Amino acid sequence: MVSENEIITYLKQELDKDLIETSKPRERRVFVRIKPTALRKAVNALKKQYPTVRFMTLSTVDHGLDFEFLHHFHVDGKVVTLRSVKHKEDNTLESIVDLIPAANFIEREVADLFGVKLVNHPQPQHLILTTDWPDDKRPLRKPLEGELPPQARPTAEALISMSCVAPVSAFMQKKREEAGLPRAPPFAFTDEKVMQEFQGIIKDTNLSKKVGYDWEKKRLRYK
Amino acid sequence: MVRYASFLGCQIPMRIPSIEIASQKVFEKIGLEAIDLLGYSCCPEPVISRLLDKTAWLAISARNLALAEELGLDLMTLCNGCYETLVETNEILKHESEEMRRVNEILKQYGKQYAGKIEVKHAVEVLYEDIDIQKIKEQVVKLQKIRVALHYGCHMYREPAGEDIMRKPNMMKELTRVTGVEIIDYGLERLCCGYPSMQADEEFSLKQRLLLKLRRIKEAGADAVVVSCPACTIQFEIGQVMLRHYGVQYSIPCINLMELLALSFGVPSKDLHLEFHKSPVLQLAQKMEAM
Repeated sequence: MVSENEIITYLKQELDKDLIETSKPRERRVFVRIKPTALRKAVNALKKQYPTVRFMTLSTVDHGLDFEFLHHFHVDGKVVTLRSVKHKEDNTLESIVDLIPAANFIEREVADLFGVKLVNHPQPQHLILTTDWPDDKRPLRKPLEGELPPQARPTAEALISMSCVAPVSAFMQKKREEAGLPRAPPFAFTDEKVMQEFQGIIKDTNLSKKVGYDWEKKRLRYK
Repeated sequence: MVRYASFLGCQIPMRIPSIEIASQKVFEKIGLEAIDLLGYSCCPEPVISRLLDKTAWLAISARNLALAEELGLDLMTLCNGCYETLVETNEILKHESEEMRRVNEILKQYGKQYAGKIEVKHAVEVLYEDIDIQKIKEQVVKLQKIRVALHYGCHMYREPAGEDIMRKPNMMKELTRVTGVEIIDYGLERLCCGYPSMQADEEFSLKQRLLLKLRRIKEAGADAVVVSCPACTIQFEIGQVMLRHYGVQYSIPCINLMELLALSFGVPSKDLHLEFHKSPVLQLAQKMEAM
């Protein structure tokens, strides 16, 4: 009988950098966090190594900013869960129906309840909602929001993007100059290299992830 | 000459630079050299970062502390909020070796390191403890004939467990008294101005905090409120404007201790650019000059 550790070792070897972390919280239970792009690769790997693998179900959690997809498999007496997290802005779930036909209904149920678009599903019609159900009102979908209350969002955004929580406006910089002061005090944001250092420190912690900061767009992912 | 690394914070330079100007004038007169902290960031503000990610809060703060340590100077701040963050993180880093190790692991990737060798002080403490109060009195060329209410700000009461929480407020009171003003008691000195609760409930913050104070200050006959914290200043000034939406009219000047000292040292009000204020501080200063 295959052990939990053997399953983990095998998936680590097959998925390499697509595997983010593993955990074994109790006997006969294995969680494998993977990159969302590696879902099909992981399913294929399980099928190849364990011919009796059985797809159990798919759970989905709306975390506000992200969807967490949990594909549960029964492998030789153990439950192996492939856990993948996607930004809600992406709003898609790659179908595994061609690999696992039994995933057909549960993927459609997830699409109905959370409003996720299925990619490459052979029958992407509604399963439990009526055909005229509005796209923007899904029973289990939360608004795209992080942990911060609205009043605290500008402060968090300013801290990460500018290193300063007060508004940095051209008007105030001009007024400072008129008052005989430098346009800005020696804040990190006044020097690109120093700013990279400051933001690097933030990236090395979980702050930007927790507040939902988009480093490319330089703003929070929600208003 | 007394030397400190100067931590200006965010609100003073970007919202009320007249406090920055006034402090420069005051420091110059009393022989306090405040060295700019090049590349500093927000302290960081004590609510969001601390609650969401303690490591980020400590690491950002430790970076600021490390900048002062590189200069070989203790750190002085003009802002009560920055004071609280920097003092508290400094204590944690000095006494919790695991936190210090974790934070330095992050900092060292950027060529920074904090050894815990510096102290953090509020400018009020520096003026009171490091500059002789007699020396400050000697600089006063014009005693102010106004009545003021003091708002110390909540963070001013922070002291290690068992210590006297009135230590810094009393220092602020002494320094204010040097200017010749009459300090009036209004009974609600300890009450928060409501700035932090603005994040959660505007009406509560304005009506259950700021308004109670304004009412008592007015009844006590104060010409102005003296503060040492830029966040409290913002709350007193913007809050009075916002209260008009609730049908309440107040227009009490909210002057920073550094500005009051500068005026008493004979610095002309026009040199302080008091027009940055959203309450009639400039008018108050002009009235004081005309007295």
